Amino acid sequence: MADSGAKRNRRSILDLLLGAGLLGWAGSIIFPVIRYLKPLGAQAQNGPVKLGAEDLAKLEKEHAVIVRAGAARIIVLEDANQRLHALSAKCTHEGCTVQYVPGDSVIWCACHNGRFDLDGRVLAGPPPRPLEKYVCQREGGAVIVQLGRGPETA
Amino acid sequence: MSAPTTETQAERKGFYGWLDRRYGITPLIEFLKHKEVPVGAHSVLWYYLGGLTLFFFTIQLATGVLLLAYYQAGENTSYESIRFLTTKVPFGWLVRSMHCWSAHLMILSLVTHMFSTMVLKAYRPPRELTWVTGFLLFALALGFGFSGYLLPWNELAFFATAVGTDSMKAVPVIGDWVMQVLRGGPDVSINTLYRFFALHVVVLPLFTVGIVAGHLIFIQRQGMAPPMAHDKPERGMKFFPDFALRDLLLWLICLIALASLAVFLPYGPGIPGVEWELGKKANPLAPAYPGIKPEWYFLWVYQLLKEFPPHLLGMEGPQAAIALVSVLFGIWALVPWLDRKARADRPSPGFTDLAMAALIFLAYLTLKAWDVGGGGVAQPDPHTVARVCAYWALLIAAATVAIRLLMHGAPYFDLTAAAVLQIALHGFVGLHYLTAGAISVALLAASLVWRLFRSRNAARAAPGGQP
Repeated sequence: MADSGAKRNRRSILDLLLGAGLLGWAGSIIFPVIRYLKPLGAQAQNGPVKLGAEDLAKLEKEHAVIVRAGAARIIVLEDANQRLHALSAKCTHEGCTVQYVPGDSVIWCACHNGRFDLDGRVLAGPPPRPLEKYVCQREGGAVIVQLGRGPETA
Repeated sequence: MSAPTTETQAERKGFYGWLDRRYGITPLIEFLKHKEVPVGAHSVLWYYLGGLTLFFFTIQLATGVLLLAYYQAGENTSYESIRFLTTKVPFGWLVRSMHCWSAHLMILSLVTHMFSTMVLKAYRPPRELTWVTGFLLFALALGFGFSGYLLPWNELAFFATAVGTDSMKAVPVIGDWVMQVLRGGPDVSINTLYRFFALHVVVLPLFTVGIVAGHLIFIQRQGMAPPMAHDKPERGMKFFPDFALRDLLLWLICLIALASLAVFLPYGPGIPGVEWELGKKANPLAPAYPGIKPEWYFLWVYQLLKEFPPHLLGMEGPQAAIALVSVLFGIWALVPWLDRKARADRPSPGFTDLAMAALIFLAYLTLKAWDVGGGGVAQPDPHTVARVCAYWALLIAAATVAIRLLMHGAPYFDLTAAAVLQIALHGFVGLHYLTAGAISVALLAASLVWRLFRSRNAARAAPGGQP
């Protein structure tokens, strides 16, 4: 009786060791795979972005242009009073790229009909948050967008 | 199989005997010879839909392999290789057109199969896991549609993927991780396409083939679900050759229909959500274009995302919408355990009603997503669209009710009534879609409570009933 009890004890310790070993073995496979699949962090860009000649021509012609700043997309637009605005071009609803509608003076997302004013505030539709705003100015003939969150965030 | 059945394995001659002595295939042949399909009053038509879905899936495998002969995943090659395939390669347009048409028809056949299983209660014990594997295959089919969409790397694909992957953020705790893993970065880029390509041509097909095998093994072990006990089959039909030949004939007809559609409408019927013109190459710096819509089977989710306000119950709108979709899918997957009447082999009109209410709910959202009644302008008046779509949805609801009354005299319409009430309150009275939904759900809950009380009272009043 005592012998079989000791056997059971030994068996359960072995089972425990085996289970822990299997768990460790699975973890040592799953962890690298999870780590492998998670993409490397995107290069964050904090410095100013200067619009190229092609972007400037588009801004002149269509009153708006979308430029890339690191991983972000920024819409730079010129309103009816020739004032420049720079905002995140990524809709806060489901991440589509927004566009400027000069006739209505709004920023519109065609995907789910979200509307923002030129300061990025939500006017209508489902977007839950305003678009992030950036400082944008002309320096001579150039247009420069300052990146990084600042007091300009709407 | 000219050998008489009394002949022993050792006596069999030829290739059959050689195989049989090694692998003992006679029991398998005997099993297939005696396999029967139950023939019910009105159920035999629905038995072909699973096989039809499998047929379209094999077309997908065949045309998919052919597409791989030319497709090259890459920022400067994905779009270009599909354009080359459709414009220069002999019959390249046909292969792509067949792949696209067959994808849509496969989803259509799968969804019809699922709804018919629901209405006929074929999920009742012992077939719960057949339903669950079928549900997983449905989810995989949606995954196929979603991942395949991006591969041509055109504008439509880009934004559909941006929206679809963004909605993953709604998943608690791991949402952001899942989104980044799917995208291969913070935003949709060519890295996303590489990952979707791997999913579409390797991961999803492997899972699908495995689960289809499970689904088929379950059906072979248990046979096809007979009609409910109150609707006993009069006879059975031999699977070989009677049913199999009918299956084959249907596949042949569908192949001809598929080829005709692919030839005469190579870029789809031109309905938003059912078209595959290559269009412009994806440009992450171009805004989403007006009228952009996902595939037809995602339109209801797309519309739901539009209906939800920016914030709801402490959640962001999209998060709340995705939570609702997840709950609905969860209920759908667990139907075999929720339907207690069908478990006891008793008539279960409540769950037929659930299927019909789901159909009406999906139809209304899909019609709204199509802007039916909007006059074809880019931004139609939402009230007009809501009203015109309500007329159509109510027509569909009336048709389902009429058919059910004619066929069964179905005594249960609470869920259909709730779906119809929501549509009427939103479309005709002008209430917000969610307010109308909340009122309908509240009334539905009240009616369920009332029914529960009434049945308890009836049980008490009945002679010998439990106190």
